[in-house]
Amino acid sequence: MKTKTLSFAIALSTFAFALSAQAHDPKEHMKDAENPDCSAMKNMDHSKMDMDDPVMQAMMKQCMQDMQHDEASESDGHADEEHEADTDGEESAEE
Amino acid sequence: MTARKIFSFGKYLLIAAGVTVLGGLAFLYSGLYPMGADVPHNTLTIWALETLRERSIVRAASDIEVPEDLGSSDHLLKGGADYNDMCAGCHLKPGKMQSDFTLGLYPAPPNLALHGDEHDHDEGQNGQVRRFWIIKHGIKASGMPAWGPGHDDERIWNMVAFLDRLPTLSPEQYQILTARGETNVDDN
Repeated sequence: MKTKTLSFAIALSTFAFALSAQAHDPKEHMKDAENPDCSAMKNMDHSKMDMDDPVMQAMMKQCMQDMQHDEASESDGHADEEHEADTDGEESAEE
Repeated sequence: MTARKIFSFGKYLLIAAGVTVLGGLAFLYSGLYPMGADVPHNTLTIWALETLRERSIVRAASDIEVPEDLGSSDHLLKGGADYNDMCAGCHLKPGKMQSDFTLGLYPAPPNLALHGDEHDHDEGQNGQVRRFWIIKHGIKASGMPAWGPGHDDERIWNMVAFLDRLPTLSPEQYQILTARGETNVDDN
């Protein structure tokens, strides 16, 4: 009887310890994870940013992907506009 | 004659000590002390508890060494996300001055988005060591848990690094630095 109680207590404490160790795994927080709102970064005057400041470096790291993505979309947009302009030009020439 | 005087003095001292102990025990068992978190401690209790806390932390944290590159952007990013998930509810964030926890907890948790002199806590290297110890071990009967059992030292130092810069952040900077996003899970 005593052995049973002891085994149960050990199993319970091991289970509780395992749960507490998992409780703050960063992956647990991913359900509510926000994405960085980098719109504030885009409106900043980049020439006035202190790139030696770790806060600024960290923000750049967070927003790098976002900004690259936007730049890529913008250049795609320009390319599309140019393409459309070329097509319009060709069409009007044909007319 | 002198020996008799000493004996007599000792006897009165013993009686006084006995009365003090019995009086203390009677007070403890009487239930007269208000334990509700909505009634502040008296000045003497505040002084005793704060002195006990501060002296204990200074002694226990005296051997802790601060990592050299604590101010790096990597530490800030990793610590920021954890602070937002684990601490901001009680210790607040830029642009937020109170929460249900700050209103209801006693002692009220310090607003760590303010500079140290605004909430009466030490900054600099002593402050870093103190914060590391408090995050790791918690503080008894204050609502501050010990995060050490589920978090390694590196992760706790990351939070200390973030705390150093927290009072200088705007709400927009705070949002960017603390967002886990989809890309940060492996780093954090």
